[in-house]
Amino acid sequence: MVNKMNRLKTLLLVLPALILVVSCGDDFTILAPQSERNVENFYQSDSDFRVAINGAYAGIADNNLYGRNLMLLHEMRSDNTFNGGGATGLAESLQRITRFDELPGSTELEDTWAGGYKVIASVNTILSRIDNVDFDNPSLADRIKGEALFIRSLVYYNLAVTYGNIPLQLEEVTTPNVEINQVSADAIYDQIITDLDTAENLLPASYSGDDVGRATSGAAATLLGLVHLTNGNSGQAEAALRRVVNSQEYDLVPDYLDIWGASNENNIESVFEIQYKSGGQGTGSGFTEYYSTDLSISGGVGGGNVPQGINDNLLETYDENEDVRFETFGTDEDDLPYLNKYDASQSIAFDSDVNFIVFRYADVLLMLAEAIGESPEAYDLIDEVRERSGLTTPSATLPGSFEEILLLERRREFVGENKRWPDLLRFGVAPQVMSDFLSDEGFTPSDIRLLYPIPQRELDAAPGELTQNPL
Amino acid sequence: MKTVTLLKGLPILALMVMLSSLMPLPASTQVQSPETELPQLVYFSVKDYSNQLQVLKSPIEVDFKNIPIVEALFQVAEKADLEIAFDSGVFSDDDLVTLEQSRLSLGETLEHVLKDTGYEAVITSSRQIILRERVVEELEEDELMVDVEGQVVDAETGEPLFGVTVFVVGTQTGTTTDDEGRFTLTVPDGGEVLAFSYVGYVRQEVPIGDETEFFIEMSSDVAMLEDVVVVGYGVQQRTEVTGSVSSINAETIQDNPASSFENALQGRLAGVNVAESTGEPGAAPQVVIRGTGSISAGNDPLYVIDGVPLSQNYNQQGSIGSQRASFQPPRANPLSTLNPNDIESIEVLKDASSAAIYGSRGSNGVVLITTKQGRKDTPPQVRFRSYMGVQTPFNVPELMNAEEIIDYTKDARNNTYLRQQDPTNPSSPFYNPQYNPDTNAGREASGATGNHIIPDAYVNWDGTDTDWLDLVLDQSVLQNYDMSVSGGSSSVTYFLGGGYMDQTGIVEGSAFNRFSLNANLNADLSEKVKIGLAMNGAFTEHDRKPAGAPYFGTPPGIIYSAMTQSPVVDPFNEDGTYRQLEGSHNDLGGATTTTNHPLAVRDYIDERIANNRIYGNLNARYEILDNLQFKSMVGYDLDNYQRSYYQGTQLYYRGGDPRPFGQSSSAQSFNWLWENTLTYQTAFGEDHRLDAVAGYTVQKQRDERNSVEAQNFPDDQIKTVNGGQVTNGSQFIEEWSLVSYLARANYVFKDRYLVTGTIRSDRSSRFGSNNQTGVFPSASLGWRVTREPFMADQDLFSELKPRVSYGVTGNFLIPNYGSIGLLGSSNYVFSDQTVSGTIPSTLGNSELTWETTKQLNIGLDYALMADRIYGSFDYYISNTEDLLLEVNIPAVTGFTRALTNIGEVENKGFEVQITSRNMVGAFQWSTDFNFSTNTNEVKKLGNEGDPILVPGAAGVRHITREGDAIGSYYGYEVVGIFQTQSEIDNAPVDLEGNPTPGDFQFRDVNGDGFIDADDRTILGSYHPDFTWGMTNRFNWRNIDFSFFLQGVEGREVMNLTARHLKNGEANFGSYAVLNDRWRSTEDPGNGKHPKAERASGGNNNRPSSYQVEDASYVKLKNITLGYNLPQSLIDNFAQSVRLYGSVTNVAISTDYIGFNPEVNLQSGSGLTPGEDYGAYPLSRAFQFGIDISF
Repeated sequence: MVNKMNRLKTLLLVLPALILVVSCGDDFTILAPQSERNVENFYQSDSDFRVAINGAYAGIADNNLYGRNLMLLHEMRSDNTFNGGGATGLAESLQRITRFDELPGSTELEDTWAGGYKVIASVNTILSRIDNVDFDNPSLADRIKGEALFIRSLVYYNLAVTYGNIPLQLEEVTTPNVEINQVSADAIYDQIITDLDTAENLLPASYSGDDVGRATSGAAATLLGLVHLTNGNSGQAEAALRRVVNSQEYDLVPDYLDIWGASNENNIESVFEIQYKSGGQGTGSGFTEYYSTDLSISGGVGGGNVPQGINDNLLETYDENEDVRFETFGTDEDDLPYLNKYDASQSIAFDSDVNFIVFRYADVLLMLAEAIGESPEAYDLIDEVRERSGLTTPSATLPGSFEEILLLERRREFVGENKRWPDLLRFGVAPQVMSDFLSDEGFTPSDIRLLYPIPQRELDAAPGELTQNPL
Repeated sequence: MKTVTLLKGLPILALMVMLSSLMPLPASTQVQSPETELPQLVYFSVKDYSNQLQVLKSPIEVDFKNIPIVEALFQVAEKADLEIAFDSGVFSDDDLVTLEQSRLSLGETLEHVLKDTGYEAVITSSRQIILRERVVEELEEDELMVDVEGQVVDAETGEPLFGVTVFVVGTQTGTTTDDEGRFTLTVPDGGEVLAFSYVGYVRQEVPIGDETEFFIEMSSDVAMLEDVVVVGYGVQQRTEVTGSVSSINAETIQDNPASSFENALQGRLAGVNVAESTGEPGAAPQVVIRGTGSISAGNDPLYVIDGVPLSQNYNQQGSIGSQRASFQPPRANPLSTLNPNDIESIEVLKDASSAAIYGSRGSNGVVLITTKQGRKDTPPQVRFRSYMGVQTPFNVPELMNAEEIIDYTKDARNNTYLRQQDPTNPSSPFYNPQYNPDTNAGREASGATGNHIIPDAYVNWDGTDTDWLDLVLDQSVLQNYDMSVSGGSSSVTYFLGGGYMDQTGIVEGSAFNRFSLNANLNADLSEKVKIGLAMNGAFTEHDRKPAGAPYFGTPPGIIYSAMTQSPVVDPFNEDGTYRQLEGSHNDLGGATTTTNHPLAVRDYIDERIANNRIYGNLNARYEILDNLQFKSMVGYDLDNYQRSYYQGTQLYYRGGDPRPFGQSSSAQSFNWLWENTLTYQTAFGEDHRLDAVAGYTVQKQRDERNSVEAQNFPDDQIKTVNGGQVTNGSQFIEEWSLVSYLARANYVFKDRYLVTGTIRSDRSSRFGSNNQTGVFPSASLGWRVTREPFMADQDLFSELKPRVSYGVTGNFLIPNYGSIGLLGSSNYVFSDQTVSGTIPSTLGNSELTWETTKQLNIGLDYALMADRIYGSFDYYISNTEDLLLEVNIPAVTGFTRALTNIGEVENKGFEVQITSRNMVGAFQWSTDFNFSTNTNEVKKLGNEGDPILVPGAAGVRHITREGDAIGSYYGYEVVGIFQTQSEIDNAPVDLEGNPTPGDFQFRDVNGDGFIDADDRTILGSYHPDFTWGMTNRFNWRNIDFSFFLQGVEGREVMNLTARHLKNGEANFGSYAVLNDRWRSTEDPGNGKHPKAERASGGNNNRPSSYQVEDASYVKLKNITLGYNLPQSLIDNFAQSVRLYGSVTNVAISTDYIGFNPEVNLQSGSGLTPGEDYGAYPLSRAFQFGIDISF
C-alpha cells in the first residue's frame, strides 16, 4: 500500500515534467480546415501546383480581365467604337468610358483592378511556395514557375497600361494589413522585364496533347517585346521579337477569316490565347456577346444598340474591295455595322466556345517592325501582314509617316482585339486622335485621360497610401 | 428520537390550551389532557439546538424584571406567538425571574426562565409549549466545580456582544453575557466544551481544558459575507475579493423551478442580463454580461462547470435547410443538459480582473458553476425533490374580434374607394349615389379596384368569430423528479444525483425532457494524495413545433399564422378537417393575404433534437508541502446532437402546393482538457499573507457534423429522408485547440490591504499564425477600510471595501479557421478539355486575433448596521478593441474583403446590489435588490467607418454605426398624424408617399424639406437602459413566502408583426389597438394609430418608429409560498419536508402589444437584435412541489 502510494506520488510529481515534454509544441495549435480546400494544406505536391496554376489561367479568363473588362477599357475606350450608352448600370459605364468621364467608383474599374490583383496574389502564392516543395517532376516546377511569371507579367502589363502608377506586390499576402507599394508604370515594366527574362528560359517553345494552350517561351518573348516597346527600349524589343520569329514556331494563317472560331483554336498564328469552352461549366466566354447582333442572347448593353458600335471612321479606313479584313464586319437588321470576328452562335448567353487571342504572329511581325523602326525590313514586315489580307500596294509607298502607316495597319488588323487603346498610348497620339474622334461624334470632352482613375474603393480601403491619377 | 424516548414515563403536566393572542393574564387554569393523546405528539426539547425547528431559533425580545415565572412564561409565549400549556400550580408567585432587554432565541429564553425550576420546556408538533420535569440528574452539591469567565465580542467590529447565551455542552449550566459582553460561569465536573450562541451569529464551541479565561469573537452568520466564493482556478474569501464577482446559491436557483439554470439567473444579479426571448421548452435564453461587446464574434459568456470550460457548440445544431437564415428556429439550449438541482453555486466573473484568468475567453464574462459535493463525516443524506405544474399562455395580446375586424376592413376599403374614386362627389366621374359604407352596392370589382370591394364574408357575416390564438395555445404540464444521495466518511465523500424533467409546451406537440445523472466522488488516498471524479451525463429530447417564424416562413410559424388569420374564418370544414386545402383565404371572399392554417402547421411538421452530453473531470491533488499543492485534472465533454425534421405532404403552403421536406442532421463534439496547477499559500510575519496559483492547461475540441436533406416525398408514410429524394448532403469537420499558462497571486497586508494580480497567456489555433499567442494581465486593489484602527470606534459600517481593478481579456468566439485562406474552384480549359483549377477565395489572415476588451472597474463592497444591509456598487467602463469585422481591404492583397480586427465598442455602466435584512426575529423579512445600467456605443468601424446596414427578417431596419449602439433600429420617425390637408400642404414633401389626412407625418431629419431615404434615423435599440430585480423573502415559523419582481427599462422591440397586424390595411387579423385608430379629423382616435386604408397612399407601413415599440416592463416573475412540515409529523419518516406552491410569470406591466417584450427573433445575431416576427409565447406556470430530506 505504501509502495503504491509512493508510486502515485511519483507519478504526480512526474506529471509536471511530462508536461514540459509533451508540452504541445507549436504544431498543436496549427490546425487547418478538413472539409474545405485551404492554403494551409494545399501547395504540397506536383498536382496541387498544377491545379493552382490552372486557377491562375482561369483568373485571367475571368470577366474582370479578358472575359470582358479589358475589352471595355482597351477597345471601347478607343476610336474603334462608340457607345450611345444609357443612364444606368453597365450601359452608363460604357458611355462614360467612351467619353472619358468614367467615375472612380465604377464597378468595372474596381473589378478589373481587383480581378487583376487576385490573379497576381494567386501567382505570388505559387511562386512563394513552389521552392519549398520537392517535385516528383522537377521540370514541371520550372514550367509552372515560368507560367506563373508570364501570367503575372501579363496582368501587370494590363494594369499598368490601364491605371499607370500601381502597387507592386510580389510576395504572398497573409494579412490584410499589407503595405501598399505604389510605383510608377515604368517600375512595373522593369519588373515584368526581369520576370519575363526568367520565364522565357523556363517555358517550353510549344506544347502537345493536353497542355496545348499554356504559356510558351514565344508568348513570354512576345509580351517582353511589347513591354520593351511600351517602355521605349526598341533595341531590346527587337531582340525579343526576333527570337519569336526565329523560333519557327509560328506563321500567319493563310486566310484572315480562319484565325478565330471554335474550329480554329490554337492555330499556327496563335502565340497566346485565352481558352474557353461552353457547356454551362463556367468556362465559356462572354466577351463575344458584346459584338453580337443577336440581342436575344446578347447582353443587350446600351439601350438595345449593338453594344460595340463600330465606327464609320474605322470602316472608312478599309479598302472595301481588296481588304479581306473588311469581311469581318457585317450590318445588322438596322443597317448598323458590327464586328463578326467572334461569331459565336452559342445557345446560352455568355457561354461561348470562342477563345480570345492575346498575341498572334501578325502582332509579332508588326511589333518587330515597330521595334526596328522605319527601314526596308520594317516595311517588308508590314507588307507581310498586308498581303495576307489581299493588299498589294507596298506600304512604303503609302501616304503618311512610317508610324502613321504602321498604326493604321495595326488598327485594321487588330480591331476587337484590345490593342487600339494601348497602341494609341504607345504611339503617343491618344490625346489628338481621341479629341478629333470625339469631336467628329459631336462630343467635346474636357480632357482625354491617358490613365483610368484608381478605383475609389482602393483609395478608401488604404487611406492615404495611394495617389489618384489626374481626373 | 431522543426526545421522544425521554418523554416516555414522564409525568406530563396538565395541558392547557389557549390562544396566546387572546390570552388574558393567566389565573390558575388547567385542562387535563387525556393520556391517550400523548403518543401522537412529537416534542422538541428547547435545548435541542441542533434540531431543525426554526421556531426555536427565532429570536424574541423580552424585557422583564422580577416577575413571577408564570407570568414570564406567558409573556414569552405571547412574544413567540405560540400556545402554552402547563400546570400553573407548580410555580409559586414568589418564584421570580428577570430577563432584561433580552433578544435571545425562543429556546434560550425559555431555558433562562426555567433554569432554576426543575422543569424544562418542550414544544409539540401542534406548536404548543408544554413543561415537563428535567430528566437529567441534578448535580451533587459537592461535585467539583470550576469557575470560568470571559468576554464575547463581534469578530468584525470588536464590539462586546450583550445577551450571548453561554452554556456548558451536555449540561443545563448556562448564562448570558452582560452589556460588556462578559460572563462568569461555574462549570460542573465533566463539562468539557463551552458553547456560545447568539441570534445572527455563528454558534461557536470552545473546549474548556485548563482555561478559565475566554475571549470569544463571534462572527455574523450572514452567509454572503463570510462565504468563500469560487473564482477561476480556486476559491477566495468573499471579503478579500477585489474584482467584481456576483454569486447565486443553490437555494435561489431552486426557489424558481425552471428547466435551466440560466432562467434562475434572470433579474438576480446586477450586470447579468438574461432575456427569455422565446417560451419554447428547451430553447436557449440569452445571457449577456455587462453589455454587448462584439459585433460579429459571439457575445455568450464562458461557462465553466466544475473547472472545465465548456463550449456551447451552437453551430453543431445546424439549421433547417428549407428555412431562410433569419427565420431559423431558436437555438436549443446547450446547457439545458445540466440539472439546476445539481448546482451548488454559480459565480459570475464580471470584470476584467476576475475574468482575465480565463484570458482569451474572458471578455464576455465567465459563469462558474459548481455542482454539489458530499461532505466528510456525514451520514448518507437522501433528498427527493419533485414538482408538478400546469402552464398556461402568458400575456396573450389582444386581437380584434370578428365585429371589430369587419368594421376595420370596411373602413379600410371605404377609405381607399373614397380616396381613389370619391363616389360621393357628384362631379367625380365615379360618382355613385348608391354608395353605402356597409355594402358593395354599386361598387365595381375589377383590377386594382378590388381594394374598393368589401369581401363578402364581411358584408354577409355568418357570425363566425374564431379566436385563432386560443385554438393553438393550450394548457400544458410540467413535472420534475430529483433524487440525490450524499455524504462521506472521513476520507471519502460522494454526491450522486439523478433527475427527470418533463415539460410539455403550450403549443401542443412541443416538449422538452431531460434525464440526468450526476456523480461527484472525492477520496483522500493518504494525507497528501487526494483524487476526485465529477461526472455529469444527460440525455435531453426536444420536440419542437415551428413557432419562431412569420406566417410565410418555410415552415411557417404557428403563432404568427394564427395571429394573421381573420376571426371571420371558420378553421374547420364541415367534416371537421382543417380548412386549408382550398387556400385558406379564398374562403374570405376577398383579397386578403393568404396565410397558413396554424393547426396544419402544428400537425404536419415535426422536429426533434436529441442531445446527449457527458462531461466532467478526473483530478488528483498532491500536497507537496503543507502549503504547496499540485493538482492535475483531465476534463472531458462529449456532446452529441441528433436532429430530424419533417415537413409533411399535407401542409398546403399558404394555400398552394405542399412542399414536403425532410432533414436529418447529426453532430458530435469531443472536447478534452488537461490542466495542471500549483497552489501555494503562506503567511509571513503577522501582516502578510500570500495565496498564489500557477498552471498550465491544454484543451482541444473536435467537431463533426453531417446533414442530409430530402425533398419530393410522395406521401407521409416514411418521415425520414429515406421517404423522399435526397437532394443535399454535407459533412464538416472542425477543430480548435488552446494552450495556456496562467498565474494569480493574492496578497493581503494587515488583513486590510488587498492586491490581486493575474496573468494568462493563450495560444489558440483560431488565431493567425503570426498572432497565436495573447497575454492577458489584470490587477486589482482592495482596501478594507473597516479594518483600519480609526474605524474601530464606529459601528455603522461593518464592512467598507473600495476596490479598483483593471484588466485585459479576449473574445475567442471567432470562426475556427478565420485566419486561414480558403481555396475556391476555378476551372480552366486546355486542349478543349476542362481542367481543375483553384484560386484562393478568402484571404488568410496571419494577424487575425482575439477581440480585446480592456475594462476598468471601480467598486465598493459595504455592510451596514451589523450586516443588516450589505451589498456592492460597481462602475465599469470597458472598451472592446480589435473587433472582428469583415471589411473592405486593399485589393492588392488579392481580395476585396477580409475578416480583420478593426473596430471598437464601448460598454459602460453602473451596478448596485443591496441585500437588506429588514426584520430579524420570529418574523424575518429580507430584500435583495439589484440594479444595473449599461450604455453601448460603437466607437470605430473599419478604416472608412462606414455604417453596417444589415437586412434583418424584413429588409434593412438595423444600423450599426459609430456613435450609436450596436444593431440600433433605423427608419423613419413618425411625428404625428396629419389631421387636415392644410397640415400636409405645409409639411415637408414626402417623396415616398402621397399622404392624406389620417396618414403619418414623418420627420424631416436633415431639414431639406423632403422626406426621403436620407431622413432615416435611429429609432431605439434592443439594449436596455437599465434592468433591475427585487426579491422579498419572508419567514415566519414554518412558513416561507417570497416574491420576485424584475424589470427592464428603455428597451425597444422591432415589432415586425406590426407590418401585418397593425398596418391599417386590414388584410390580416389585427391587434385590437387599431380600434383606437384615426377615423376622421373629428374622431382622431388616441393619436397613435393612422387611419385604415387598404392601399395606403401615405405609405404608413414603411419602416418607421411605428413598428418600434417600447418594450420596457415590470414583471412579477415569481411568488412562492412554502411550508415546512412540523418535525412531529415526519419524525419517523424524514428529516425535513417542505411543501411549496409557486407561480412563475404571475403578471406583467408593459406597453408592448405583442406576447413577449424580450422577444428576439435572431438571438444569435448581434447586428439585427430585437425583432418580433412571431415567437413561441411565454407561459405562466403554476407549480406545486415537495422537497424531502431523509
